[in-house]
Amino acid sequence: MSMNEFDDTTLRDRIAANPRPALLWLVGAFVLIALELGRIADGVLRLGGAIGLMVDMVVTIPSSVRGAVASSFGAGAGIAAFVITAFILLGIVAIVVKWLFIPWSLVDRLGIDVSTGREDILERLLVTGLLVIVAAALVWTPVGGLFEMLISVLTRGVEAVGSLTTITSREVIPNQGYQLPDGSWEGTFLGLSPAWAWALRVLVVYAYALTWLAWLWKGYEIFREHYREADWTPRDDSINRLRTHYWGVFGFVVVFMFVVMALWAPAVSPVTAEANLYSPYGNEIQYYGDDGVQSITHGDANMNSRSQGGDENVGLMSYDDYDRFHPFGTNTDGKDLFTFLAYGAQVSLVIGLLATVLMAVVATVLALITAYYKGVADLLAIIASDSVIALPRLLLVLLLSVLFMQANHPIAEIYDGGLLLALIFAGTGWPLLWRSVRGPALQVSEQEWIDAAKSYGQSPAATMRKHMSPYIAGYMLIYASLSLGGVIIGVAALSYLGFGVQAPTPEWGRAVFEGKSYVSTSSWHVATLPGLLVVFLVTGFNALGDGIRDAIDPQSDSGDGSAAAATGGGG
Amino acid sequence: MSQNALETGTAEADVDTGSRQDSDVMVEVRNLRTYYEGDGLLGGTPVKAVDGVSFDIKRGETLGLVGESGCGKSTLGRTLIQLESATGGEIRFDGTDITTLSGADLKDWRRNAQMVFQDPDSSLNDRMTIGEIVREPLDVHSWKTPRERRQHVKELLDTVGLQREHYYRYPHQFSGGQRQRIGIARTLTLEPEFIVLDEPVSALDVSVQAEVINLLEDLQEEFGLTYLFIAHDLSVVRHICDRVAVMYLGNIMEIGPTEELFSNPANPYTHSLLSAIPEPDPTAHKDRITLQGTPPSPRFPPSGCPFSTRCPARIRPPEYQDLDNELWHQLDTLREVLRERDRTEKSVTDRIRELLGKEPHFGTIDEIYAELFDDQVVPPAVEEVLDDAAELARGGNEQAALDLLGAEFGSVCEGHAPDGADEANDADAEEPVEPDYHVVSPSGRRSLCHRHDSDADYRKPEHVLDDRHR
Repeated sequence: MSMNEFDDTTLRDRIAANPRPALLWLVGAFVLIALELGRIADGVLRLGGAIGLMVDMVVTIPSSVRGAVASSFGAGAGIAAFVITAFILLGIVAIVVKWLFIPWSLVDRLGIDVSTGREDILERLLVTGLLVIVAAALVWTPVGGLFEMLISVLTRGVEAVGSLTTITSREVIPNQGYQLPDGSWEGTFLGLSPAWAWALRVLVVYAYALTWLAWLWKGYEIFREHYREADWTPRDDSINRLRTHYWGVFGFVVVFMFVVMALWAPAVSPVTAEANLYSPYGNEIQYYGDDGVQSITHGDANMNSRSQGGDENVGLMSYDDYDRFHPFGTNTDGKDLFTFLAYGAQVSLVIGLLATVLMAVVATVLALITAYYKGVADLLAIIASDSVIALPRLLLVLLLSVLFMQANHPIAEIYDGGLLLALIFAGTGWPLLWRSVRGPALQVSEQEWIDAAKSYGQSPAATMRKHMSPYIAGYMLIYASLSLGGVIIGVAALSYLGFGVQAPTPEWGRAVFEGKSYVSTSSWHVATLPGLLVVFLVTGFNALGDGIRDAIDPQSDSGDGSAAAATGGGG
Repeated sequence: MSQNALETGTAEADVDTGSRQDSDVMVEVRNLRTYYEGDGLLGGTPVKAVDGVSFDIKRGETLGLVGESGCGKSTLGRTLIQLESATGGEIRFDGTDITTLSGADLKDWRRNAQMVFQDPDSSLNDRMTIGEIVREPLDVHSWKTPRERRQHVKELLDTVGLQREHYYRYPHQFSGGQRQRIGIARTLTLEPEFIVLDEPVSALDVSVQAEVINLLEDLQEEFGLTYLFIAHDLSVVRHICDRVAVMYLGNIMEIGPTEELFSNPANPYTHSLLSAIPEPDPTAHKDRITLQGTPPSPRFPPSGCPFSTRCPARIRPPEYQDLDNELWHQLDTLREVLRERDRTEKSVTDRIRELLGKEPHFGTIDEIYAELFDDQVVPPAVEEVLDDAAELARGGNEQAALDLLGAEFGSVCEGHAPDGADEANDADAEEPVEPDYHVVSPSGRRSLCHRHDSDADYRKPEHVLDDRHR
């Protein structure tokens, strides 16, 4: 019987029984977090800001619907539309809230006896009702003011943490300075040249990121060794296969470098985004000129550092007249190209990830539903997806983005059109993803364990989640990583045409566009480097996708080009 | 004498009232039908997988269900545990008609009836541990506390001959036999009374089959389970089952105690099925009854007796009583060929060839006739009918040719009312005569065949088979 006692433990029990490895790992993780606490708080703040913006937008939807309906059908209809829209939105929120925060069943707690099918609906209605009360309380009672105060206090707290210096911050390793006539540098880290100071900072950033990666791997190994009950799981084999898949590892490395570049864009760029991109005339630098140390705004300095071919060029790894170091040279306006590209990576990552995640969610849900119910549901989805696929995608994307931008729709203003692009790419891209996973989903739905689940009364939603989605998830990961490349190419292509992300938000495609007339001159780097980066990145994502596929499904043929070809639709 | 389907139904109901008085009947199936809708958007002709089946399952017994692949035995099993919904008829489980259950009632009832699936590779979700798989039914029905659930599962693993430590293993790590044991453990978690075993050992090695069969028998004894054992391996059925039902084309042809049915079959189909069991003794004399043609499509079952198109003991019309066996065989083959031709969709090129006056791809009627009847002595009366049929078939009207041959050589088996009745009453002739179940032994064994009809003067199937096939 002692065997049973040992057997029957939760993860928490197992950690309590042998806390040393877990504690050691946690201490390491805390040290790592502490080193970059300021930047993390900064990130949280920005994420919170974005969520706040989204919430603000969603909140205005019922009112705008009321306005639109009231103007054509009268005030009564307007109020009805307001209530209906608000209720639908809260219903959607209720599903998420229920899923995330309410693990038990309200219906059971209240002891209401209904049939299984209606139980879920009733549950959702109850949660929606609670949300209606909460929303009403926020809008019409002092609770709303209290809530706002709480948020602002929280924000200020996080801001205070965000101002802490971190090991990768510009203040710790400054690379901006001026050279005195004797050749020594003033204002840079340890008197190094700006080039070396910048290189050191980039090195620290990547070393930090790599340490995190290694530490996470270590954590997984500790979990495997000390706390996991199964001594083997199918995922172990997949991970081992991915580790020895060199093409996949190459893809992982490229994607990792790109993601780090995007996340630490403020640290790896030689100049701040503020000074370089958004208000070059509002920020000054000091340089050692004819009259000793002088000040000049970035904007004025940029006039002399433009790369427009011929003599007017600041190339790779060079300094301009004001002792500013440009690893990738400058662009046609004289701005630092590397800063532009680092922040552009952020834009590409946000748009690409947002579009791909939206696409993947829609495609997965649809695949599960159509494979489980088949018949009419499948047919409707086929008609809908075929209708979308039948339209030329790039033209449709172009048309929609121009339409929304010309109409000055509020969505088009967020992230200078970035959110709009993500939504458009998601809206036109889900049919391809759905088609890719429909086959596997149908295959899984024919397995006997689905019948078995039905035979003991498992609900359709739980069957789809537990018994079908794990089998689609692998495929989804592959096709999503492939289509991410497609979205990035697509956004770059749109920006190249002038319809994508608008200035001043940096975007790789626009850099190519700006530099295209100088490719044959000494300023070739302006268009070529971002172009190469796009190629590298998309290749990286495809390689990673290939690797994951071979890791998850060793039987599949790695020489299959159809999946890669499918992403061509993105660009 | 002619009975239509409605009367057949009432006749059955009469038989049933007798058995209903048996107190230990657990499942009563009455005139159960399960049809699969056609593929087209607007339905089309449904596939009649189970087409009017009635039987009882007594508490604690093992009822075997045998038949060739595609005869509807798996569909019947799946309908019994409501994996498919019945098109018509009743399934009374301890008096409740479960075909009418839905929602929470159905979910509640599902605890009583579980199923062991055929393929142990496909019936266990590879991404879950054994513990999670076996525990899931308990989670679904919120059985006690999670801790007790885990305990219960570990005890069950013990019960089916696995170890408690296997709780955290994955299905990959087990052999086929062990996986089937896991599947059995899962069906036992909810402590059901009735288990459908859908070919539980046919995917396993022969050596492992015996172990699993023994396990199933032990469990039946320990928990007082009632089994519906679906199989096509007749020797396994003979070993484990108390009673056996023989299915053909969605109908039960014969149902009765195992030993009796195996040693002294009544229905012609049971005869042919049993004759397919290989005899281990090479010196033993054994006549195998080879059935003609292929089973008909369950979408378009034959009228009359479902087995009529292939029956080796089919009743022959009295006016042709003295025809040679050999000639009868050729006539049956001709009808089979015509049916096949009628069923085959003609391609566009075939249609064009037909329009141009050329014969379609698959041999001409004359070729078929030459092959079938050239070395036969064909009496003039038969010759005449054959010529008329050939004329119709040549014109591309296979159905008319079949109707003609059926009217001439068909009998009560194919739904034609016995002599005189069809001319006297045309409306009645439209409704094909269907065979009845006849009690063929004191134990209450029932068989679906006209030849058991004591009112009519037919010979017993076994005698006819002896004459015709030995």
